[in-house]
This record gives sequence, C-alpha cells and structure tokens, in this order.
Amino acid sequence: MAYITLFAILALVPIVFDDSFLLNQLSRYSVFAMLAVSVSLVWGIGGILSLGQGIAFGLAAYGMGMTMQMQFQDPITNPIPSFMLTNELEHLPLLWEPFWSTPLGLMLAWLVPVTFFVGFGAMMFQARVAGVFVSIMTLAMLAAWYSMAYDMQPFTAGFNGISPPLPFSIFGVDIDPYSPLAYWICIGFLGTLTILTKLLIHSKFGLIVQATRDDAERARFLGYNVAYYQVVVFAISGFIAACAGICWVMVVQYVSPTSLELSMSVSAVVWAAVGGRLSLMGAILGAFLVNGIQSYMGDELQQVWMIILGFIFIGVVLFLPKGLISIFEYIFSIFDSKIIKQSKNQTENEAL
Amino acid sequence: MSVNFFWKAFELYPFLNALFIGLSLASIWFIAAIGLAIIYGTMGVVNMAHGEFIMVGAYTTYVLQSLLGINFFICLPLVFIIVGLFGWGVERTIIRSLYKRPLDTLLATWGISLVLVQAVRLIFGTSPLYVSVPNWLNFQIDFSFLHLSGLRLLIIIIAMGLFFATWFLINRTSWGMRIRAVMQDKEMASCFGINTDHVYGLTFAYGAGLAGAAGGLFGALKTLFPDMGSGYIVEAFLVVVVGGIGLLGTVFSATALGELNSVFSYFTNDTFARFVLFTLVVVFLRFRPQGILTDGLKRR
Amino acid sequence: MNLLEINSITKRYGDYTVIDGFSLSIKNGELRCLLGPNGAGKTTCLDLISGRQPLSGGSIFLNGVDITSSNEHQIARRGIGRKFQIPAVFKELSVMDNLEVAYGKEKGPFYNMFDPGNSSRNKKIQEISELIGLQDRLNVISGVLSHGETQWLEIGMVLMQDPNLMLMDEPTAGMTEKETYKTSQIFNSLKGRHTLIVVEHDMSFVREIADTITVMHMGQLLAEGSISEIENNKKVRAVYLGTEGIH
Repeated sequence: MAYITLFAILALVPIVFDDSFLLNQLSRYSVFAMLAVSVSLVWGIGGILSLGQGIAFGLAAYGMGMTMQMQFQDPITNPIPSFMLTNELEHLPLLWEPFWSTPLGLMLAWLVPVTFFVGFGAMMFQARVAGVFVSIMTLAMLAAWYSMAYDMQPFTAGFNGISPPLPFSIFGVDIDPYSPLAYWICIGFLGTLTILTKLLIHSKFGLIVQATRDDAERARFLGYNVAYYQVVVFAISGFIAACAGICWVMVVQYVSPTSLELSMSVSAVVWAAVGGRLSLMGAILGAFLVNGIQSYMGDELQQVWMIILGFIFIGVVLFLPKGLISIFEYIFSIFDSKIIKQSKNQTENEAL
Repeated sequence: MSVNFFWKAFELYPFLNALFIGLSLASIWFIAAIGLAIIYGTMGVVNMAHGEFIMVGAYTTYVLQSLLGINFFICLPLVFIIVGLFGWGVERTIIRSLYKRPLDTLLATWGISLVLVQAVRLIFGTSPLYVSVPNWLNFQIDFSFLHLSGLRLLIIIIAMGLFFATWFLINRTSWGMRIRAVMQDKEMASCFGINTDHVYGLTFAYGAGLAGAAGGLFGALKTLFPDMGSGYIVEAFLVVVVGGIGLLGTVFSATALGELNSVFSYFTNDTFARFVLFTLVVVFLRFRPQGILTDGLKRR
Repeated sequence: MNLLEINSITKRYGDYTVIDGFSLSIKNGELRCLLGPNGAGKTTCLDLISGRQPLSGGSIFLNGVDITSSNEHQIARRGIGRKFQIPAVFKELSVMDNLEVAYGKEKGPFYNMFDPGNSSRNKKIQEISELIGLQDRLNVISGVLSHGETQWLEIGMVLMQDPNLMLMDEPTAGMTEKETYKTSQIFNSLKGRHTLIVVEHDMSFVREIADTITVMHMGQLLAEGSISEIENNKKVRAVYLGTEGIH
C-alpha cells in the first residue's frame, strides 16, 4: 500500500510544481530507480550479484537512440546520420536499417538486451556459475560491450555518442523531455514495473527464486530446475533495465558508451544496497535519495559527497545489509508490537 | 562491411613485434594480478579495490619522487611497504568482518575503491601527473622487429623476478607454508597453531603492497589520473579467474591473455581486441571455471 | 520390478576409491536401513542415488528407468526426496515458506508465477507442521531455529514433497529419546505408501523401524539381512557393532 501512496505522490508532482527542469530531473531519477529495482530483483531476491545490468540498459539505450536518430532522418533528402558521414560511410549500415521503423526500433531496443540476457544467463547458470564468479563474468561482459560501443565509431558514433536532434515522437505526439508527459511516462514505467515485480516476488515463483538464493542445491533436490529459474529472473531484471534505458534516452536525448560504463552498473548496485536490496521500495528510495543529494551538492561539495557515499556504502554493507529501509522497518515493527501489546492489555482488562 | 575494414594483412616483422608487445602486456598483467591472485587464493576475497591500490601506489611514487626527491628505484620498495601497511589496515578493519560473506566483501572493497578514487581526486585534482624513470632507462630498443622501451623491458624482467621471488616465498619459507596451509583449510590450520588472522592480515598486506609497487612501475608508463585503476582491474580479474588458484596458473594465464590481446590488436585494433578477449574469457570460464591449471579443487 | 536397483556402482575421487562395486535392490514400500562405520560410503551412496555426485562406474535404475546420468532435479521429479546429514533448509525464509516451497507437483517457473495456492496445500502445511511440532513457529525465519528444530523442518519438507522414495541421512542426530521415538513412529507410518532408505547410527532406532538392514564397509557390501541376522553376523560385530551386539 505504501507503494500506491508513493506513486500517487509522484504522479501529482507535475500538477503541483511547474518547473520543467525539476520534472526532467525527477524523470532521470525514476530511470535510476528502475535500474535499482532491476538490481534488487536479481540480487536481493535472486541472490545473483550481476554487475552487468548496464548491458541491458546500454543496449536498450542505443536501440532507442538509433530509433530516435532515424526519426530525424529522411529517406530521400537526409538518409545518413551526420556522424556516419564524418566517418566516411556512404550507405546506412545494415544494422541501422530496421530503425527506420519506430515500432520495429522500439521492439529491438527491448528484444536485443533481453535475448542477450537469456543467452548469457543460460550459459552461466547451466554451468552452475555462482557467487563472485557471476559478478566477474558480468563485469567482463559489460567491459566487452563498452569496448564495442566505444570502438565501432561508424556504427555507434564512438565516444561522442549519438545525439538525436529531435525529441522522441510516437503516435504523432512529440515527447518533450522537459514536459509532464515525459515525466508521467517514466513514472508510469517505474510504477507498473515495480508493482508487477512485487507481485512476482510474492508469487510462488518468487518464493522458489528466494529458495534458490538461500540454498540452490536444496532447491534442486526438491525438483526445481535452478538454472532455469535463474535465467528467468535474470532475463526479467534485464527487461526492467532495458525499460530504464529506453526511458533514459527519451529523457536526455543522448546515448554514449557512458551507459555501458562500469560506474553506471555499480552505482545501481550502490543505490539498491543503500536503500535496501530486499525491498523494491528501498531500492527506489535509495536511487532517488542518493541521486537527489548528488545533484543538489555544488561541484565542490560533490567530491566530498562521493567520499561520504563511499563510506555510507561500506557501512551499509558491513552493518546494515538490508539497507537503510531496514531501520524504518525496525521502527515500524516496534510500533506494531507495542500496539498489539496495548490492545492485548485492553482486552484482558475488559475481560476482567 | 568488407574484410579489409577489420583485418590487416599479415607481415612477419610487425607480427613478431606484436608478440613482444604481448609479452610486455603479459608481464604488466602478471604484476598487476599477482597480488589479487594471492589474496583470492588464500582468503577467497575478491578485492575490487585492487586497481585503486595500484593507483595509490602510483600517486605515492609521484609524491615520493617529486616532493621528496627520492630515486625511482628506492621508491618502489618504499611504496610496497606504505601501501602494504594501508592494506593491512583495511584488512583489520573492514575485510575481517566479512569473511563468511564473499559477495559483501566484493561490495565493501568496491566501496573502498570509490572512496580512494575520490580522495585522490580531492587531494591531487584531475590534471595528469607524471612519474619519471631515471634517464638511463629512457632508451628504446629498435632492433629489426623489436621495438620496445627500456621501461617495458624492465617490467618484463621484474615480472620474472617477482615470479621467482613469490615462488620461493610460498614454497620454500615457513611463512609460505603457513599460507599454503591456510589456503587449503583454514580451520585445520588454526588447529595446528597457525594464527590464521595473522596470516590473513599479512597476506592481504603483501597483495596490497605488490599492487602499490606495481602502481609505481605503471605510473611511469603513462600519466597518472585518479581513474587509472579501472584500466587494470578487469584484466587482473580475468588473469586470476582464468589462471585459477596458483602461481603457475597466474603466469600462464597472464601470458596467454597478454599475447592474445596483442595478436588480436595487431589484426584489428585495441578495443575490438579487448571485446573479443573478454568474450572468449567468459566462454572459457563457462567450460572451465576452475581455471587453466587448478584441477577441480573446490571453487570458493 | 524393484523400485530401486543399484548395480555394482563405483565412485572414485582421483586415486581414492570410496565405493567399490556395491549393489543394492530396494522393493516398493520397504524400509531399508543402511549401516556401517564412518567412511564406509553410506552418504556417498545416497549422493550417487540422488544425483549429487556422478558415478565412476555401474548404473542405477529407478522403476526400470536408468537414472545414472540424470541430474538432481530430474531425479527429484522422478520421486526421490532427500534429507541431508547436515540439515539443509532455506535460512532466510520462514518455516511456512520452507514447507510451501517443498510442496507442489508443478516445478516450472512460469506455472508458479501464476499459481494461486489452494486449500489443500494450506491444509497439508498445517498437518505437517503439527506433526513436526512447529505449528506455533510457522512465521519464524528458519535461520534462527535450533539444530533439532531444523532437523524436523527438513523432515517436514521431505514429507511435503511427498516423494515415492525417501533418503534419510541420520534423521535422529541430535534428537532426544522422545523425539527419536516420534521419528520412528512417523517412519513406520510411511512404510508401504512410501519407500525409505535410512542411514543411521542409533541402533535402538534402527531396531524400531528396519525391515532389512544393509551394512557397508569400505565401500562394499558387508552383510544384508534382518536385524537378528545382522546382530549375529560375526563380520558385522567385528567391524561395527563390537562384540556386545546391539543394546
């Protein structure tokens, strides 16, 4: 129920505040929150510390960037993006052809990362790779994709990145990154994904996934194909990260290898860890809180803040593995038991 | 996309030169990875801050050299001790409480790396700094197919020396025997009176010190900047996981990876080579997660 | 046809042979006790049956189907459940969740996403939790349970799983006499509908439950028979029971 309150509050923001810069900021935070939710699902619930959620984020981001770029191009007068001309390409590469069509482009933006996650996940989990080895493999794979995006300049515009000149347009509507519409789309994605994920966690599927996290072998002996479950949860987390990537480019109108940087993927882990990896609410609040504080520090304070964040992160890992939200949960549980005690006393008194 | 776009034609001398560059890369990766391998092998700790220990070593060398005027070659052992002490402190405070939680150790060390990068940024700013080598090292070998700088040659020699020194330390000293005992079975080792806490602390310090000294060396190769650790960490990890737990494995995997990178680089270019290399490692790990030489020992 | 046929299995770790040409046949509905000194290979035998370790030689048939190279979850689905020597439960989940996970014939992820649960499941959870004495602890996180309670929980989980063949590895380790007696009652009630292989050291417990006893030693079959036959077997006494017999 707290979730509904949160999303209701978030949805009301554009009505209360008329600040388009703020809206864009909050849209960005909701993208980060989606990434944090994806981490919370795969790590908190699934027990898989993937440092490569950025792969799905980045691939989807590039897909969206390519779609948006091609919306700008015209097949007859202006068929090739300018950065390609700078790289001496004469024809649009085959890779880019599907992105003429917005629906197809969008579909690919989702499909490619999720398919990759299914394949990559299957490879890892069939081999029963677990624990830190998964982290290292996802790390290496992320670094590999980063190199690809950085290097394939004619295709990806290299380190400069792709900057579609126009905002994203769908069903004839231009989605201005600074508008309430863009904001509501992001919040809409965040809300829907969060609620669906919560339902998933509370289903028997979610319970089994947590069982595989606690003791994969025991789960196998109960008849569960653990690798299959792990691939599914990994792929779903990739889907969420892909949604984040798509919203990201819609909101910042730019995609570059930065989306595939290690710091992005690990930051998502930091937000989820600080907020609370076992709780989607915690992950979302962690993302909003950390990024919010970060933006409101000036440049100089920013450096100090990063150090403080580092220490907070270490502190959380050492002492509060369930994240900051566990403090709230603890306080609530004290209230709860006090209230129960009180009503018990009352009924006892009445009985006398 | 034509074939010529990617692949350069094969020419003997440049190719042989690429092989030597591969050796240079291998030696760099070996030195970078050996500290990590020892820490991982003995303690099962994945130290995500390893790259930053290297970076701190580089900056410390800079300070010792330019502010205190200490000779480059004396800086190296000094930095080894300084960063080693720092590592020992980190182990005592943070790592110690996380032994049963390997994923949390990974995260905590990542936190340490964040703090280190930021701290260095704050103290030194982001403008590039330089560590310089003594003049007599500033030569270039230009001999038919071989183009190698003096510093790189030195690194290759140091790598070999380090290998022998570590081998000697682990296999021929009583200290090394204690490390090996703890590596095999911590509880058993402590039953035999080995102070395992002590061993862990010193092992971590040794690994950190090696990273620091590596930083001193590498700092002379390129400019110093706060993020430089990230350029070593992934490669170091890959060397360790491909090599498995063991000194010989680390050597083989560093050599294999270094040469492969260089050869791919020769035919295509550096970043694409990296992509292919990382993908190959991922596939390799799927089929042989225990590494090249370890024979199916329990993976931590 | 026998429920379980173990044909001359061997298990080697490098040069070290743990099980050497061991054979066993289990009939449907019987309760077989597997005995032997430590290191005889009893747990390894269970590992091989349940698919936890691969065989070095020989074959295992379940209901006529060759399960020699099947993996753990496939074997579990064919109807083999196992209770481990060191109790293995899902430590971050509650007692009730543990029992719930163990239940259910549908093991696939997509079915379970939409499974609403039903009253027969809840009834069974209630039933089993009463049987194992944890009905008041259903919401407790299983990581905080005592060793004995964890044993019970795991037994409860195997009961929820309801497999045809149950492999029980030292089920009474750490139990009081009363609890041991209760366990023997549960096991005896399972006979017939289910088949059990029980690895044990507590001989009075074995006496309560065993139909047939198989004794292993150094990875091989030492003796097989009823309780009195085993008690009087000279080889068994020399190796395992001591010359005083069973108390």
